[in-house]
Amino acid sequence: MLRSLTAIALSLLAAHGAPAADPPHFEREVLPVLYHHCFSCHSEKQVKPKGGLRLDSAQAIRESETLVPGNPDASELLTRTTLPIMHEDVMPPLKGGAQPLSEAERETLQRWIAAGADFGEWQRFDHRDAPLSGPLAETPLAEITRRIDELVTAHHQRQGTELNSAVSDETFVRRVYLDVIGRIPTLPESERFLADTAQDKRARLIDALLQSPGFSSHFFNWKADQLRLLSQGLPGLPGWLYDDWVKDAIRTGLPYDAFVRGLITASGYLWDNGAVGFYLRDLGMPLDHTSNLTRVFLGTRMECAQCHDHPLQPVTQKDFLQMAAFTAGVSNLASSSGYSEKNVKQWSELKTKLDEMKADKSLRDGLSRTISVMKRLTVDTGKPLRYPDDYAYDKSLRGTPVTPQTLFGDEITGDTVDPRAAFAEWLTSPRNPRFVTNIANRLWKLVMGAALIEPVDSLSTLPQPEHAALVQHLAEAMIRLRFDERRLLAALLNTRLYQSESVRESPPAGQAFDLRGPLLRRLSAEQVWDSMLTLIVPDLDERTSLRRTDDSLLDPERLRRLTRMSADELLQRARDEMTYRERHREFLLRQVEQQKERAAARERGDLAAERALHAAHSKENAAFFSPELQAIKMGGAYYAKETDPRWKHLPHTFVRASETPMPLPLGHFLRQFGQSDRREIDAFNRDPNPTHSLALMNGELTERILAKDSALRQAIAKAPQPPAELIPHIYRAILVRTPSAVEMAQASALISASPSPIEDLIWALLNSPEFLFN
Amino acid sequence: MTHRLSDLSRRQFVERFAKLCLGVRIASSPGLLRAAAPGGKAKSVICLYLRGGISHIDTFDPKPRRPEMAGVKAIKTSADSVQISEWFPRLARQMHHLTLVRSMTSVLGIHELGAYTAHTSYNLTPTIKHPALGSWALKQLGSANAVLPGNILINGSPQHPGSGYMASHLAPLSIVNPAAGLQNAARSTGTSDADFQRRQALAQKLGSHFVQHTPHRDAAAYLKLQQEAAELMKSEDLKVFDIGQETATAQAAYGTHTFGKGCLLARRLVEAGVRFIEVEDDQNWDTHNDQIASMQNMTPSADQTMAALVEDLHQRGLLESTLVMMISEFGRTPQINEATAGRGHHPGVFTWWLAGAGIKRGYVHGQSDEAAQRVADKPVTMPDFNATVALAMGLDLAHVEHSPSGRPFTVADQGKPVMEVFA
Repeated sequence: MLRSLTAIALSLLAAHGAPAADPPHFEREVLPVLYHHCFSCHSEKQVKPKGGLRLDSAQAIRESETLVPGNPDASELLTRTTLPIMHEDVMPPLKGGAQPLSEAERETLQRWIAAGADFGEWQRFDHRDAPLSGPLAETPLAEITRRIDELVTAHHQRQGTELNSAVSDETFVRRVYLDVIGRIPTLPESERFLADTAQDKRARLIDALLQSPGFSSHFFNWKADQLRLLSQGLPGLPGWLYDDWVKDAIRTGLPYDAFVRGLITASGYLWDNGAVGFYLRDLGMPLDHTSNLTRVFLGTRMECAQCHDHPLQPVTQKDFLQMAAFTAGVSNLASSSGYSEKNVKQWSELKTKLDEMKADKSLRDGLSRTISVMKRLTVDTGKPLRYPDDYAYDKSLRGTPVTPQTLFGDEITGDTVDPRAAFAEWLTSPRNPRFVTNIANRLWKLVMGAALIEPVDSLSTLPQPEHAALVQHLAEAMIRLRFDERRLLAALLNTRLYQSESVRESPPAGQAFDLRGPLLRRLSAEQVWDSMLTLIVPDLDERTSLRRTDDSLLDPERLRRLTRMSADELLQRARDEMTYRERHREFLLRQVEQQKERAAARERGDLAAERALHAAHSKENAAFFSPELQAIKMGGAYYAKETDPRWKHLPHTFVRASETPMPLPLGHFLRQFGQSDRREIDAFNRDPNPTHSLALMNGELTERILAKDSALRQAIAKAPQPPAELIPHIYRAILVRTPSAVEMAQASALISASPSPIEDLIWALLNSPEFLFN
Repeated sequence: MTHRLSDLSRRQFVERFAKLCLGVRIASSPGLLRAAAPGGKAKSVICLYLRGGISHIDTFDPKPRRPEMAGVKAIKTSADSVQISEWFPRLARQMHHLTLVRSMTSVLGIHELGAYTAHTSYNLTPTIKHPALGSWALKQLGSANAVLPGNILINGSPQHPGSGYMASHLAPLSIVNPAAGLQNAARSTGTSDADFQRRQALAQKLGSHFVQHTPHRDAAAYLKLQQEAAELMKSEDLKVFDIGQETATAQAAYGTHTFGKGCLLARRLVEAGVRFIEVEDDQNWDTHNDQIASMQNMTPSADQTMAALVEDLHQRGLLESTLVMMISEFGRTPQINEATAGRGHHPGVFTWWLAGAGIKRGYVHGQSDEAAQRVADKPVTMPDFNATVALAMGLDLAHVEHSPSGRPFTVADQGKPVMEVFA
């Protein structure tokens, strides 16, 4: 029965063009099948491979008696996988997410065995990626671009395909603005570029954009989704200082390896070193922290192995714990909920003083409120990670400390006095293949729309089936460019591939990127928001958040002073703050009374009395706090008044997405369009929803764009005025292209009789799907 | 050239292969079960998603006097011999409507993975996105209301799988602020009806050029959605989205927090005939730190809202035809972590519940062991639970849907409905 099924499968395949006559290549075609379906139980990684069977070396397979070269039907290696999926002997057992072999995979195995089961050069699977070797010299950018072009050409020659045609300047200028600085160009910006006649104008625009503040904004969104940045989401802490650290790193061009080292080795208080936000973001979650960092920095998902051996990959729980052991001792991961010398250096002295003075509960609570923010000092506690009490694979290890060890590339040897430093060194080393490949692959995806290895967090030890040479070239380029992300992006943006027409089909799932052109995709929520604001706010990229914290409890200056106070000063400070809070409560109660008094006057119809009360209350309030108490400043954040004449007429919320506090208020435009809520990595959503149409048709942004004072209306006001002549201007301002003759005719016909032709056309183009794609 | 089957022949191949090879699964149980099953009463479903992984031991599966309870008490409920935690006093009074499934179990201790399987019954894989239960329901059953979307997500997270590989009109309409209802559903001030009509016609005309040379499925979807959204704007039923039309008493009963408003809106949508509504609690149940304080902070509003919803549906006679379910990614470790005073992720055993539409009243299915550590009796997986809900809606569990690449899928994967929970 089963054999006949296999026969049906094969004959069906044959009917649609027989597969190549060559038997499958072991390493390229057979090994991946074994890796994904067998290695999680049958490899040297398991303490006890299931049934004593190992399939990760040629010798082990030959000796296992599961393989009869030349006779697929007698080879259990194949026959066990072709049993019905409910059969008790089926391999792999369909538990814990394991998937049966696809028909193509079975067919590969079948043909390989039938042809004699040749392993070729392969001897054993190396579970650790070999470290990259040899120093690589710096290379000029143009050389890297040229090599990418060559590899892409070679790919098409092999496949019998070709690049899409080269893009026009119009298409290019919109694309490159969106990809590099995250918004459409303004009308003057695109016109300046289009009017430029220089040969190298594209390369120069790429450079200029990469150096502009708009790039920092767009690139920040990209990193923020990976790092799950929440400026207002670290409870009781000035979380935006972590955002600021990342923004500074981007702005100053901190090389990527140094950036990651800065995060991994970060110590201190958030207000002294914003990078410690990396640990505070995962407060109390040391294992999730490791999953997050391996996924983001190493392109490797290990989270299944947090609790048990990975069901689909040869990654064991022990592997995971050994990686986690490097950072698990950091104070805020396994957070201490109390005070100690470790987090508040004045603590023992404070404790003695409180005991000596027999302090009551209210003073103790008051002090705790004042210093609680100081608990969050990020330091190494030296506390080891221990094997869990239910560790299933080796009972003798339960409760014992886990020895830190890396999963691939170099092993860390010798004494690791500072495990985090050693880990950071290993992680970010140019010898670490996954670190280098991961960032190159992600940057490629950022501009091309699809990565060379998809998903971006599925890097493995397997040989790369597609685009191997290209991946290797990019990884090496990252090293040659000394981890300068801007320069790698410049190299990609200058390729012929990037400057080809986009691939406009929905990408077929599970197929490799075909390198015909960048993939058409919906704009991110941030790109939609920033593009619409481009049409409203003049000089958008220069406008920064008006949010201020200088008067607040979380003012970094205040926090710095606090951490430097002596024990006596802290006690005094705590008392002052208690007094302040008490007085503040009185203030709030008094405010309610004042409102009632004024309301009563208003209801009597006595406007003069109301005015008088208003003046009296203002005076009273101004003097409510003594000068000493006023100096304490324990308010919240506030928004400064806009003083720049360019933006005075605009709400303070009209700033770029990167300047918008997170998490967003409910119902925010960015949230509607699927911005990540940053609770998980890259948790954005770009699927269409009717609410998008409603927002574009009736929302505040559209209304603002239509208004006469919008940046768009101001720009086209300078153009010729008859509506028919305005059509091309409006097209260029919104869709950044000239309308076709048909579009011109249709638009003219439809708006000729309209009382509001300009508004009609602007509205219609904002609501064209074209506006939402790149 | 790589070897490829054409799409049609691939589909035929897979179908034939599936029928032959997977015959055991598809031919037997679910189809037969459907004929004999008592399901089919749920005209609407309200799915309550307590995101973050709500603890089970100090909520719906208390273990009185065990040290793991950390001092939290169990209280009696309106259902005989069913106790829940003292943090849910109002829901305790509605317990006679509920079935608690205390033997939920999974192997997915990661938010993203747990949430995905909870919604789709499938494990997250890189090559395909599966549809959530609401899209299955809408696709197979349609909606009782012709104009309103039949699948609505209130305060949902961006990672909601939506309609997965299914067409985008089956994806849930997303309400991101229940107090504001369906935002931007009215023309902006200063735009007359004539203006709107004219502009919309122009947008459709000019927008079609892009769609014509852009096969990407979302391009056409956007053009179509715009037309549907314009239709929706004209609907009389739009007032359904306005919870301001409820009495002050009703609003107060559900509570003034976002989850309360979302559930009140959900009830209004059920009355309008919407097939599937999911409401996500905007609180974060991922209590890694300070379990007791976090739960004291979050449970009062959740208790108020869930109790009000069940009671309100019952009083309006809607609970007969509406199924309410509560889901989360996993439970939490019975042991409190000494360092963080919180509880970690715990997929081994946890509790989900369901009520209404022919589900047993005041019933507990399955149980955990004495420490709420593992399943002690009648394990139920997420696909099992979803199969149960699907059956209650009258969905065909054996019906095979194909993804665009021809892969076969069923509504709850291989989940087996829990027949004991039907009255």
